[in-house]
Amino acid sequence: MSRREPQRRRSRFSLAAASAAGLAATALPAAAHEIGGSDAAFVAGAHGADPGPFLYLGAKHMVTGYDHLLFLVGVIFFLFRLRQIALYVSLFSVGHSITLLAGVFWNLHLDSRLVDAVIGLSVAYKAFDNLGGFRTLFGVQPDPRAAVLGFGLVHGFGLATKLQALDLDREGLLTNLVAFNVGVEIGQLLALSLILVAMTLWRRTAAFAPTAAGANILLMFAGFLLAGRQLAAYAYGGPA
Amino acid sequence: MSHAELPPPLPRPRLLAAAAATLALAVFVVLAFVLPAEYGRDPLGIGRLSGVARLWAPADVEVDARTASGPLAREYDQPYRSDVVEIPLGGFLAGADKSELEYKVRMRKGATLAYAWEVTGAADPRDFRFDQHGHTTPPPGRAMQVVTFRQGSGLRQQGALTAPFDGIQGWQFSNGGDGPVVVRLRLSGFYELIPAGQPGNEAGVVANVPAAQARPDVPDLLRSAP
Repeated sequence: MSRREPQRRRSRFSLAAASAAGLAATALPAAAHEIGGSDAAFVAGAHGADPGPFLYLGAKHMVTGYDHLLFLVGVIFFLFRLRQIALYVSLFSVGHSITLLAGVFWNLHLDSRLVDAVIGLSVAYKAFDNLGGFRTLFGVQPDPRAAVLGFGLVHGFGLATKLQALDLDREGLLTNLVAFNVGVEIGQLLALSLILVAMTLWRRTAAFAPTAAGANILLMFAGFLLAGRQLAAYAYGGPA
Repeated sequence: MSHAELPPPLPRPRLLAAAAATLALAVFVVLAFVLPAEYGRDPLGIGRLSGVARLWAPADVEVDARTASGPLAREYDQPYRSDVVEIPLGGFLAGADKSELEYKVRMRKGATLAYAWEVTGAADPRDFRFDQHGHTTPPPGRAMQVVTFRQGSGLRQQGALTAPFDGIQGWQFSNGGDGPVVVRLRLSGFYELIPAGQPGNEAGVVANVPAAQARPDVPDLLRSAP
């Protein structure tokens, strides 16, 4: 049992915020999707507009949220043109910005574990779609743009639910939310550029075509597993 | 940007097999490993077989330290004892293993401990933090009872406490200053010292010796002591 005072939490936080290295270092041990530990203490203690830290938190949340990242991997898997990638990522951003801002501002929320379960399923959905599942099984191809926008709404709702659990101060709320949201976009761009570099290198190899199906099957498994874990958390209580 | 050809969609039987297999595998992993490790449920018995179930620990049970009832005069069978424990702590730059430690004593439920401690060598009382608390030491998988008496900063504290349960009671001391300090802790009452390395005295503090010999694992702590 060791406890630390909020003062030290805060100084540690700003140290980390100051360096990109700190971002990577704090990213590693964090669980998907949590705003926890010292960050939660900071957010709960924040009063008034404080965009810097909220921007950082948004970016950190995105970079360390492996469920978001897996979804992005699924989305850009078969997108080869930069324009297409920009379109899809913008749709995703528009979706989650709407629900993040509206959800926190009007106090809309759902159990975060259920939202996270749907996010897990969104990963499985996209992987299944990448395998041509809907065409093969049902003879229809759902509009991928609508799906990305829809799941963007869900991801944003998940963020909103997490933020509300932290008991935000009404004063300066809009500024902090917008900062958090901008941070989410920055984090997404950061993560996406890394994913894109890796994907591009992979696509250039002869191994891409034969391994692509296997990778999407793995992605589908990861999505189901994430969903199952969240449903277990919902059923039996415990950490979200 | 390369323009690789889209691979053909998976044939229907393989697609069905892949979807069913990944779903089944995910459900299996949740039932076999996630539930026993995270939620203490083991529907397939695999958590126990694999040992994963031992990862689960029930949530702590907090005991309120502010209210209690009992006779104001009490007598004990246990031997009465007194100890002086000098605890050297390095500056915070020396690392947490040198600048922070926990020192507790084992007490039976209802036993009383009178204590007084003060810190020498600290420049600023705000740099020295303590967390006075106690808890039970249950076997793995059983809920731990926890009590918090006081958390704060300062250079001295004195008083008495009554153990709310059989367990270990004491302090976490944390030196946030630059230089080394010594905590001189005087104890008396009905308790037992905890042997070095066991829960409550993991730092291996030796009681009733001068500070320079009290932490044999880190003998050089006080080299630049005041």
